[in-house]
Amino acid sequence: MSKLLNTLIEDARVWQGHRQTRTTQPAEPTGYQALDNQLGGLGWPRGALSECLLDAPGIGELQLVLPLMQRLSHTGKTVFWLNPPHTPYAPALARDGVNLDQIVMIRTEDNGDLLWTLENCLRSPVTGLVLAWPGKLAARDIRRLQLAAEAGSNVCVLFRSRKLADQSSPAALRLELEAGEHQDLRINVLKRRGSWPGQRCTLAMGRRADLPVTESHRVVQGPWSASAP
Amino acid sequence: MLWAYLHFPHLLLDHIRRSRSGRDEPHEENSEPALVVVDQSAQRVLQACPQAQAQGVQAGMRLKTALNLVPELAIAHADPGREQQILAEQARWLYRHVASIVLYPPDGLLVEVGSLEKLYGGLAAVWQTLEQALSERHLTAWMATGTTPLAARLCARAGQGQCTADKGHMERHLHNLSLAAAGFDDRTLIRLQRLGLTRLGEVMTLAPAELARRLTPETLARVQKIQGSRPDPQQPWQPPHHFRQQADFVQDIERAEGLLFPLQRILTELEEDLCWRQQDTDSLLLVLTHRHHEPTRLRIRTSGPEHRAEAFLNLMRLRFEQHPLPAPVASLVLSVRRFLGREAAAGNDLLGETRDLNEAWHTLISRLQARLGNDALQQLSPQPDHRPERAWSASEVQRKPRPAISDLASLPRRPLWLLSGPQALPEAPVAWYSGPERISGGWWDGQRVHRDYYIAGLGSGQLAWVFRDVRGGWFVHGWFG
Repeated sequence: MSKLLNTLIEDARVWQGHRQTRTTQPAEPTGYQALDNQLGGLGWPRGALSECLLDAPGIGELQLVLPLMQRLSHTGKTVFWLNPPHTPYAPALARDGVNLDQIVMIRTEDNGDLLWTLENCLRSPVTGLVLAWPGKLAARDIRRLQLAAEAGSNVCVLFRSRKLADQSSPAALRLELEAGEHQDLRINVLKRRGSWPGQRCTLAMGRRADLPVTESHRVVQGPWSASAP
Repeated sequence: MLWAYLHFPHLLLDHIRRSRSGRDEPHEENSEPALVVVDQSAQRVLQACPQAQAQGVQAGMRLKTALNLVPELAIAHADPGREQQILAEQARWLYRHVASIVLYPPDGLLVEVGSLEKLYGGLAAVWQTLEQALSERHLTAWMATGTTPLAARLCARAGQGQCTADKGHMERHLHNLSLAAAGFDDRTLIRLQRLGLTRLGEVMTLAPAELARRLTPETLARVQKIQGSRPDPQQPWQPPHHFRQQADFVQDIERAEGLLFPLQRILTELEEDLCWRQQDTDSLLLVLTHRHHEPTRLRIRTSGPEHRAEAFLNLMRLRFEQHPLPAPVASLVLSVRRFLGREAAAGNDLLGETRDLNEAWHTLISRLQARLGNDALQQLSPQPDHRPERAWSASEVQRKPRPAISDLASLPRRPLWLLSGPQALPEAPVAWYSGPERISGGWWDGQRVHRDYYIAGLGSGQLAWVFRDVRGGWFVHGWFG
């Protein structure tokens, strides 16, 4: 290496990508080793917003947050569900070992109430996890939520439409979720604070319906061929 | 026995004046109109506030005259029922300082102070405590001591009461009272005056038999009660088991912020009361009366036991932000009927962290409920029913551990999302994973369900919980989220 370059590097005036130190932001493990590895070994950031962008429910998006929900609900932290698109089904949650005493479902009438509620939940020390399905949010609103999230130290996951993947957002972590071919969940990290985006991983989510892990399109024969639409 | 009597010469006036916005500075006081209390027929002025008096209005004046003197005079009507309630409110705080209280509606309270001297260390200390409590509440009271209830009452009403335990002194004072102040009825008074008597002492020296014969036995009874030679039993007042405070406004309050000041005063009283009782509450009833509108009843609930005025006030502020006043408010009543024993800190945590979290939890939930309504927050629980739509229930949020389900693995596999109602299957599934699982039930309550459930993958990658009903239609009932 030339002498000039050596001097520059020794002076530390040039920032080098490969020497990047690991960020030490507080985080909660996701419970999926493959995903944790892609997130710098950390997981869901605490005291910051996370976004999951997906097209439609039913591709394993709840399964993604379930390990965290199980853990927090048993340590006495409250898990809030804000405006979920469907009813969180209590028997299934109980079966998956979630402590239902710590689950609070909130429905708000308009966006103003939703933001207010989110802010209050985020700032409270009792909250462990907030799952929210907001409608349209302006960048200003997300910024406000981000500030509220920083005031507390809990995990907040916003579930939003995949159409918003191109738009920028102040959230600390943005994941694009897609259904894979074999009932697995393909995750594309769109943004991660303190690191490069673009990591991809695939998680097997067949467990959520007790499907065999090695999927081979087992087709159950039945009487549906005549009447199915 | 030693008695003290508190006479409130203008209780209603004081009551209304302290409900006004709390500006005590003299330069701003001018902005408040002068206030008078008139009798029920609205003819005569009964009580006039200092501003009114400064402008020439006096008690006993005709209302028309007063209005000519001060055209912008604010008028409140006397109402015996209301005055009695206000008097009972005063007895309530007084009960914290003294044990036995007798109500003399509409404007007097009799207190037995002889037994308190030892507790307070002298009559002067009792006196000071009472005077301080009165000035804290911006109340004017004329106080007097006496050896009999009636003697104390007469001295106090004459406005010449003194704080003394010396019998001779009190007796001299009593003897000097004019007959008009002794409260005889008009006929007796005229007859006594015709006898040439002007002072109470002169009547008291008359021979009892002569007094009864020449005047009436009732007159004798009254004189003997003043002297203490005839028993004068008193009905001690018992504090009621609820809290009730009222604020009346001369000018209707149009905006909710205007209510917060009187509410704060009442809530502070409530906090003191709750602290004194060592109790908490979780439900307050606020009734706002309007002139031309049905009263508004607001029930303010906290999710847990609470006693702090600030916490209640915050909840009310939120409530007012969400629900603006339907009409201007003429008066408000805050009542609490539900009291809860105060629990000792349950956590055996040395640093008390659990307690803090518990409190924070109640604060958060109360805040959310106050703004969003109680129904907006729900807790979920499974129910013992085979039908999927009945196998869960939502209930109001409570901080009570519910029995855990012991055998989790034995529960059937269910999706995490349940649709609010079955939806027609949009497309033929691309893969079928398990099924059929037949669910049939509900014949006992008419909500018959007879379905075969399958787990199926759709083309979009969604994993659905679909069923076929008796008529062969296909529906999605849940998503495996």
